Amino acid sequence: MTSYFAGIDIGSTMTKAVILNKGGIASIIGPTGPEQRRLANKVMEEALKKASLSFPQITYIVATGYGRINVPFSDKQFTEITCHAKGIVHLFPQARTIIDIGGQDVKGIKIDATGKIIDFVMNDKCAAGSGRFIEVIADTLEVPLDQVGERSLQSKNPSKISNICTIWAQQEVASSLSEGVAIADLLAGVHQSLADRIIRMVNRLRVEDSVIVTGGGAKNRGLIKALSEQLGHKVLVPEDPLITGALGAALMGKEIVEKARQNNTPLETKERILEEIEIL
Amino acid sequence: MAEEQKEAKPKKRMTATKAAASIGPMVKEFITGTLQAKAEGKQKVAYTFIVCHHEEIFRALDVIPVWTENFAGICGAKRDAERFLQRAESLGLSRSLCTYALCGIGFDQWREELGQMPPEAPWGGQVRPDFMISSGQILCDPRSKWYQASQQFMPDVPIYNIDLPYPLFQENRDHREALGYYHQYIVKQLRGLVAFLEEQTKKKMNYDRLRELVDLSDRTWNLIDETYKLRRAAPCPMGTGDAMNTMVPINFMMATQKAYDFFVDLKKELEEKIAKGEGEVENEKYRLMWGGGLPAWYALNDFNYFNSKGASFPVETTYRMVAPLHEMDIPETKDPIEHLAWRWLGYWTFWYDKAKKRPGSEPDVERLINWIEEYKIDGVVMHEAFSCRTWHVGLIWQLHQLAKIYKPIPVYMIGKDGQKGKVYRELPSLILESDIIDITSYSEVDTRNKIDAFVETLESIRANRAT
Repeated sequence: MTSYFAGIDIGSTMTKAVILNKGGIASIIGPTGPEQRRLANKVMEEALKKASLSFPQITYIVATGYGRINVPFSDKQFTEITCHAKGIVHLFPQARTIIDIGGQDVKGIKIDATGKIIDFVMNDKCAAGSGRFIEVIADTLEVPLDQVGERSLQSKNPSKISNICTIWAQQEVASSLSEGVAIADLLAGVHQSLADRIIRMVNRLRVEDSVIVTGGGAKNRGLIKALSEQLGHKVLVPEDPLITGALGAALMGKEIVEKARQNNTPLETKERILEEIEIL
Repeated sequence: MAEEQKEAKPKKRMTATKAAASIGPMVKEFITGTLQAKAEGKQKVAYTFIVCHHEEIFRALDVIPVWTENFAGICGAKRDAERFLQRAESLGLSRSLCTYALCGIGFDQWREELGQMPPEAPWGGQVRPDFMISSGQILCDPRSKWYQASQQFMPDVPIYNIDLPYPLFQENRDHREALGYYHQYIVKQLRGLVAFLEEQTKKKMNYDRLRELVDLSDRTWNLIDETYKLRRAAPCPMGTGDAMNTMVPINFMMATQKAYDFFVDLKKELEEKIAKGEGEVENEKYRLMWGGGLPAWYALNDFNYFNSKGASFPVETTYRMVAPLHEMDIPETKDPIEHLAWRWLGYWTFWYDKAKKRPGSEPDVERLINWIEEYKIDGVVMHEAFSCRTWHVGLIWQLHQLAKIYKPIPVYMIGKDGQKGKVYRELPSLILESDIIDITSYSEVDTRNKIDAFVETLESIRANRAT
């Protein structure tokens, strides 16, 4: 019988689901809202549809991310640190440093030669340094979020953004804009400022090659360029940088099942029901 | 008004030892005792700071110390500091200053404005002092500035400042070369304190009594050292969560028979627990070190959360303000003031010689390394409190140094590329971020998410070792 493994990652901004089998993966991404439990069901339903599977066919489900406790059907939960590392090492066996730039936090993970986590850091106190910072600036400059990276690459003279606080930086950008500073220069300056803050945090881990960047921030080429230049390391980005946590979660599930089968121990799983959740 | 703002009461932290559970009432009794003493007017009460090696002088002259950091910590632990912090802010003091000091200054200003204790003051409130004894100990400037700020509201209350330096660590220099000069200077400072207290209390120092109190403290120091070393046992009978309670007799009750008796009882309790194989955690999986930083007093429950994951804390660098006296070079002297000065220097230079023997090491790092080995530690947890530069600047540097110079046994592993390689297992570390008493800097969800990730890291390392 074929086994299928599902990983679901409820992050602060996006919810991601991955279904894994021998042949490949099916993934679905949707925005996280206040109704995390309902969204977990919805994303899983869509992922199943994409994989042409029914829910009972899923052998094991692991949930991760901040909302991991809000996945009623998950068989086990792991933190996003463990799952990102697992997913990235699967895609890039040579990975030693992972930088995950999420919507509202940033994580740095150090991996050893065997693919195990040896240390990590997290910034969860402040929006500065996270994807939210770019969102706020993009909004101020009226540049669509998916064009921010490309536009910044046109800059010849990146401006210096000195404020650390997201709100003050927003005001600084607005003020520079009124003084006639080019949008591309402002965006490049924002990326440099963001990269600087991220690097200050991950430097605690003593960054080593290969450096892999994941999360929504990894989709921004301008930020990747700034990170790479300031780190002095080449930065690699997975093809779909948003799903690495969910992929890692699915892989964790696979490992648990294989171990249980190897040791002939019973596997505890939840009933495969996607019930309708009433939101108060 | 902001003063009415109070945070939700914290859940009670579960203690592993009866001794730790007895601390709360002991502190309450101590606080109410200072209020009673002030009302009776028989003894002088003085604001002061911990770890100044001056308790014996206070007690020999019947001066009751009021530990202002302790009171701020109580406000924090009761989640009732915010209204005092906001008071201090409204006076123009920044939230980024020491929040112990802000809490104390805010409280003092309020009490002086009202002419009585602020409403529902924690455990009856902090008594108005007769005088204030400050000391920056060369490392903490708020300890010098705090009372000067409070004096604005109590201009009739005098301040006496004592300066207690110690030679800084130099890898290529023997600190003993300068120790004599430091000793002379500290003796002079302590004699100055005696003269000030004699003037305030109108009493003459009884040096025989002082000698007895110093001897009592010394015996307590050695007893604490013996007691805490029992925590090397596996499973560990008492963790850092409890040590954040048992720090009270170490830091606030030295030179009292009560402190000595407390540790006699604790030692007995730990010996009994060890004999029965009882640990802080039922099934001890990981042994962690609290490697630095003052705790978030409002979130001591986080230690229980660690415990729930099978993690115990056999040792901590914070508040272990004693070292075995027989391992220090303390010259024989009959003068208790001279002895206090030698003990001060002995404590602060305790790890110097050991650090010099290990290239690249420093005293603080050396202590971490020694205790990692002695207590068989699997990981280090530190707390970075934003408002306390003194204790917290340098923690990350210590971890970096630790990772550089501490190389546990190498393990040969087959890497993903199929190549055999020598891997030094680094000791994983976790840095928690918040503050000592400012609860607005703390998020339970984020903190516990970090703890979960850390425990998963420990698990992953263990699984890899087993492989």
